[in-house]
Amino acid sequence: MTDAAATAGSSAAANAASAQPEHMAWDSRARRMVMLWLPLACFVLILLFPFYWMTVTAFKPDAELYDFRAHNPFWISSPTLNHIHKLLFETAYPKWLMTTMLVAVCSTFLSLLSSTLAAYAIQRLRFKGSQYVGLAIYLAYLVPPSIQFIPLAAMVHQLGLFDTPFALILTYPTFLIPFCTWLLIGYFKSIPYELEECALIDGATRLQILRQITLPLAVPGLISAGIFSFTLSWNEFIYALAFIQSSENKTVPVAILTELVTGDVYQWGALMAGSLLGSLPVAIFYSFFVDYYVSSMTGAVKE
Amino acid sequence: MTKFTRRKTLGLSAAAIAAMAMAEKAQAQASAIPVADATAPNLPIERGATLRMLRPVRFVQPDEDTFRANCARFTQQTGVEVRVDFVGWEDITQQTAVTANTGAGPDLIIGFNESPHVYVDKLVELTDVAEYIGKRYGGWLALAQKYGKRHGTNNWIGLPFGASGGPLVWRKSAVNAVGFERPPEDHAGYLDLCRKLKQAGKPAGFALGNAVGDGNGFANWVVWSHNGFLVNEDGSVGVNSRETVAALTYLKDLYATFIPGTLSWGDVSNNRAYASNECWLTANGVSLYFALKNDPATRAIAEDSEHMLLPKGLASSSPMAGLTLNAMVFKHSRFPNASKALLQFLLEREQYDPWLQANLGYWAQPLEAYGQSAVWNSDPKVSIFRDTMKNPYWIGYKGPISEASAQANAEYIMVQMCASVASGQATPEQAAREAERRAQRIFRRR
Repeated sequence: MTDAAATAGSSAAANAASAQPEHMAWDSRARRMVMLWLPLACFVLILLFPFYWMTVTAFKPDAELYDFRAHNPFWISSPTLNHIHKLLFETAYPKWLMTTMLVAVCSTFLSLLSSTLAAYAIQRLRFKGSQYVGLAIYLAYLVPPSIQFIPLAAMVHQLGLFDTPFALILTYPTFLIPFCTWLLIGYFKSIPYELEECALIDGATRLQILRQITLPLAVPGLISAGIFSFTLSWNEFIYALAFIQSSENKTVPVAILTELVTGDVYQWGALMAGSLLGSLPVAIFYSFFVDYYVSSMTGAVKE
Repeated sequence: MTKFTRRKTLGLSAAAIAAMAMAEKAQAQASAIPVADATAPNLPIERGATLRMLRPVRFVQPDEDTFRANCARFTQQTGVEVRVDFVGWEDITQQTAVTANTGAGPDLIIGFNESPHVYVDKLVELTDVAEYIGKRYGGWLALAQKYGKRHGTNNWIGLPFGASGGPLVWRKSAVNAVGFERPPEDHAGYLDLCRKLKQAGKPAGFALGNAVGDGNGFANWVVWSHNGFLVNEDGSVGVNSRETVAALTYLKDLYATFIPGTLSWGDVSNNRAYASNECWLTANGVSLYFALKNDPATRAIAEDSEHMLLPKGLASSSPMAGLTLNAMVFKHSRFPNASKALLQFLLEREQYDPWLQANLGYWAQPLEAYGQSAVWNSDPKVSIFRDTMKNPYWIGYKGPISEASAQANAEYIMVQMCASVASGQATPEQAAREAERRAQRIFRRR
């Protein structure tokens, strides 16, 4: 009996040493394929297909582009750089790109600055009615730009900003600030208040607390809000269309439509090249901060 | 800094010489346009005037080049600086709305169709210029008068610059192969042609989606060619009629012969389908023909293509409302006289005819005398567009042109009525009733 127990014990130890990670009975390879990899593949395919289509169209000659019966729509037989050349050298695309970048960076900076202060005040100062102020700011975000663009145009004109990049830099925050504020209120809420109480006991002022304690902890949230703001500004259409009339001051989304759609003739190759190049800065910007972005989703400081 | 090489300089000189030669030729041909004696209105140009203008983006590059050259000549003669910005076709409506409602931005806008009628209280009246130009160049054509004058008056609020028609574009080989010399003018014959084309695997296709030009063009043709209409002459809604129901019943049969997918077609869809040999009969502006002609890969299709006015059906003339360029001057402009002088200058033969020629037939003239322009002899397949503005149909036919007719058009009431029948969503009677309900909401308010 004792011997048998000892043998059993030693074989169990040997098994434990060479054991594979334990698989649950329900966790078969087929199940993982169906439950994980297949949906993931579909998801990735759907997400990346527009980029693939843009890329393929940007390098396709017109003859292939229009005739799907003679040419495979998903592949290029004889790639061409004509569309890229037309876009970069026969239009003012580089200038539009610079204008869009200027507008997106400035409006993002302004919005982040304002919404950080607003969110901190609403979340931490707890003044009377702070909750309702937060709600009101969010409600402002729900007003559609198609209703706002004419009243805003009147204000932009009165300020003498019509047809300048400042018209966009100062109007984009009207929808960016409410969104960022709301996002940051949630983020500040997840930072333990005790940290700030300790600082208060040590004699720090509110601004010192914000700068030295709250903001360093809120970097993922700020980056997340920054990415959203940058992307929204980069892609914005209706204000850019309404407030800018000179060809040279236009932003990419509006300018490529003006220059590359003539009547009912769409120059698809150049349009797709413009969209592809236009989406690259956002993708690059995003790729630098993706870790912060993900961590902002999971909360600030673990208690 | 730009570096000029000898080769580059020679190239540039050659291009400049060619452009100058073309401009000189066009100028010489312009003098062949007949003019009558007329006294130009007195428009003392304001001191220090500068002008800003918005207009829809070009069809072809020479359109923009000639237009800018004409404005530069105005600057040369009057000292008034003119800045022209070009805007996408779909976007000019919003730009006009912002300009009119804020009182800011350009002094003049060349918009589309009924735009001046929407912003009538914000505009400077242009009657003096219109009367002078009309008298000098043989009179304004029917569509120009309709879009230019305020309803029921002789007061001009817009100056039409031209219109682009959307006639039938068809492959001669396919139509001939199924036993027709050309598409018939009557409904039964036309349906027969479309059925035979479908059987031959070379179907017709017309836009039934919310397409600004093609969708409205086709839906209006279906109803107008059966003598139906959206609004009565007095502005009351008249769409729910026996004629409309007959038109929609006909459409149900016709739609069965189309290439699949036309319910979702936008303005560009038939261009692509036609260029790729999927569709053999459609309706479009001349842009499709030139796009095919200018691409070596599709030139054979252009050579096999013909244009024909839309079949008359029961109507007395081909029911088609050309997309019209309509210029307006805003009251907020500090230089109304300079603005009017510019429009007058651009419509004079020395400027207008070269511009008309530069457009190759994309735009057809609003004035009788320009029917003599050399552009209409340049390509026999384009000459059909010459009389686009003589057509007695307009968007909102046969009611007054107003904000309401613009809204009804923008909401695609006619297109959606047709699409609901074609898709089987509604019977012709139901669709006509629904269109009537929607139209009444719009026209009752105004």
